[in-house]
Amino acid sequence: METTSVKTVLRMQGISKAFPGVQALTDVSLEVCEGEIHGLVGKNGAGKSTLMAVLMGLQRPDAGSLEIDGHIFTTWSPHEALTAGVAYVPQHVTMMDSLTVAENILAGEMPINRFGVIDWNKVFAESEKRLNMLGLNLDVRERVEGLGVVEQTMMAIAKALFSQAKLIILDEPTAALPRADIDRLFNFVRSLKKTGVAFIYISHHLEEVFEICDRVTILRNGFLVATRDVSSLDAAELIRLMVGENIKEYSRVTARQPEDVLVIQGLTRRGHYEDVNLVVQKGEVVGISGLEGSGAPSLGKALFGLEPMGIGSILVKGKPFVPSSPRHSLDQGLAYLPQDRYRYGLVSLRPVRENITYTILDRLAMLFGFINAPQERSLVQQYIDQLGVICPSQEQRVGLLSGGNQQKVVFAKLAATKPAVLVLHEPTQGIDVRAKLDIYRIVDELSAQGIAIVIISTEVRELLGVCDRILVMYEGKITREFKIGDPETTPDNILLAIEGGNNHGQR
Amino acid sequence: MARGNWTQVILDRLIWIIILLVVIFFALTTKDFLTGINFINILLHASVLGVLTIGQAICLMSGNFDLSAEGTLSLVTVLAAWLMLPYREMTLAQAGGIGWQLSPFIVIPIMLIVGALVGLVNGLLITRLNMNNFIVTLAMQLILRGIAFVISMGAIMPGTPEAFNWLGAGRIGPLPVSVIVTVLLFIVTGVFLNFSRFGRELYAVGANKHAARASGFNPKSIVTKAYIIGGLSAGLAGWMLLGRLQTSVPNLGQGMTLETVAAAVIGGVALSGGSGTIIGAFAGVLLLSVIADGLNLMSVNPFWVDGVRGLIILVALLLEAQKVRIRVHAARASSPDAQPEVVAK
Repeated sequence: METTSVKTVLRMQGISKAFPGVQALTDVSLEVCEGEIHGLVGKNGAGKSTLMAVLMGLQRPDAGSLEIDGHIFTTWSPHEALTAGVAYVPQHVTMMDSLTVAENILAGEMPINRFGVIDWNKVFAESEKRLNMLGLNLDVRERVEGLGVVEQTMMAIAKALFSQAKLIILDEPTAALPRADIDRLFNFVRSLKKTGVAFIYISHHLEEVFEICDRVTILRNGFLVATRDVSSLDAAELIRLMVGENIKEYSRVTARQPEDVLVIQGLTRRGHYEDVNLVVQKGEVVGISGLEGSGAPSLGKALFGLEPMGIGSILVKGKPFVPSSPRHSLDQGLAYLPQDRYRYGLVSLRPVRENITYTILDRLAMLFGFINAPQERSLVQQYIDQLGVICPSQEQRVGLLSGGNQQKVVFAKLAATKPAVLVLHEPTQGIDVRAKLDIYRIVDELSAQGIAIVIISTEVRELLGVCDRILVMYEGKITREFKIGDPETTPDNILLAIEGGNNHGQR
Repeated sequence: MARGNWTQVILDRLIWIIILLVVIFFALTTKDFLTGINFINILLHASVLGVLTIGQAICLMSGNFDLSAEGTLSLVTVLAAWLMLPYREMTLAQAGGIGWQLSPFIVIPIMLIVGALVGLVNGLLITRLNMNNFIVTLAMQLILRGIAFVISMGAIMPGTPEAFNWLGAGRIGPLPVSVIVTVLLFIVTGVFLNFSRFGRELYAVGANKHAARASGFNPKSIVTKAYIIGGLSAGLAGWMLLGRLQTSVPNLGQGMTLETVAAAVIGGVALSGGSGTIIGAFAGVLLLSVIADGLNLMSVNPFWVDGVRGLIILVALLLEAQKVRIRVHAARASSPDAQPEVVAK
């Protein structure tokens, strides 16, 4: 790319930001040039949204600086970001829907005639003129709510430009758009790029990144992995940068015993997954990997009763299993570790002790529902010791623990139910490297106790370390199976399968 | 470390310190404040408000308002008088009952059952039909008071039977029965919330209903139970208040709901649910009662009273709000692992 002669619009340097239990960003830098479309990719929780929130002044970083168009800021507000020329166009654009296109465009500067009344002819003419300058042909008299999604997105971009935006953040603009609309949007964006407008383009659709971006910045676990020219990358390489994890190799001995614990037959939920067949044996650890929309995440939630399971049959320890609610699933011997532990895993306001025993109050309750406190304390202590939770006391609020220790508390809560099957969804997300090793050890111990474990994760190297075999889901189906020890089972092959390579040819 | 702990100890007792300061202020400025009779008066005021606040606090802990409490109170008192009193033609806005003259031993259970039913309906509307708790209970308050007005035709009904009045007007030694019952109720509820399964579930659902559900709880049933307790406490408060006044007045308890919310919140019960203690709520009730009594004794111009009370409530809340901020600093100072408590989106 011809970066040398081009002016830099945005320079973010050394941005760090911590939330309770998570280091969301660590020393991240980002540079965007004039007339550049800069891709920003990473898995959920990689730090994309936090970085953009920092850029827009919505989150104050713990460290780092920002330079927009030569102005250097160390702290900045949303207003300053806006006046400096940063504009954000979300997936679902919000505008004054019941007003016309023209009114939305000229909001705040409506022309009035000499009687002090709005001059509608001028309104329509002026707004039409402005849109035409950008090469947009919209009916300015139409109400915004009547426009299509892509028109609304383009209008939001246009509006940002009318208020002197120099850098526009496009957040997943193409989600749920048909191909023809994507083409129209891309043509519009390319035409603006020629006039010097810079874009940050956030997307899960990697093929679009290759189609429209000049450079791409990859984030993983809050760290900057790389910024590369798109022309120097291919899809496999990009995915590897997104998910590949070069942590210390973890190895283990399988604890698999020849007894089928979880048997799934022909499970289908339209739009999510199709004809899923899976047998997990006692003590076996099976990884399921797949990108957003591959069906793997929905499968985990469905097994726990958080989402409808669709049709098909599930057996747990030979008995028919119907996940109608989390309680019901727990009672039938299946426990689930959610990806979003803040929302679904923990009650952060409450102490460690309470969080660990939430699932087993049945066993601890005595007359009138009073809880056997000594028994509770000793049980909790047992799990704290066994899983190595580091906390000042059982009474510490969970919200004040580090991410790794929070996750161990969730593990303790699930292990306490003595499940036959444990489904883990991204169990090491947002956790530092040392705590990750602890989590692997915990998974190992639980499988040694005879629990059948399913790990839904995109951390391929991690799966290679802890699993007995790895299944890959793509577009709702299980497309490949990799056994640990096979020469076929390499990170590259798995990544290729995740991207759909082996099954659908070139996309 | 030690400093952090001390700050913590003081902060946890902040509300009691405020009460102490207010008591000292009134004791210094008002002649009759520090007398046994006046203390009994304060506790009497605290009893009906206290019983109502127990229900309110439990609803708030589940993350919901119960604005219907004073409507329930009004309805059960009118209903009880109507069922117990002999028939009498309405004169001078006074009337008798329907003439059945039911025994208090039947009427009292009816009051409690009606209260519980109101709570059940509130709970079902909110959890099963996904209606907003604030609006549902506000509408319920209006409906219930409306029914009370219709039954009584706006008249007051004086002369409740002796046996009925025991809770509101009776005494054991120098102490009013209502005060003893209220204090016992606070203790029992406090112990129950702290050590029972329901208490555990209530706090969990109030703090994070998604995680509570994923932990195997049934948030809908827990919230409904909270409302049933709220209704029961309003029924009990009705019995207490009617026994004390011995006359049913259809607009009884007007404005008490917001007072219970204020008491609970001053005592550290968060409007967002999931935190606070019943003892804290009791402290909130005491503070409001001391203030009401003190201002009365100071013979503050009645036109000023409401304003002054509002102001004091605001100051107490302000201190409580600051507490959270100070506590985070203290936690950070005492444990290196701790991080500021911002809820990550």
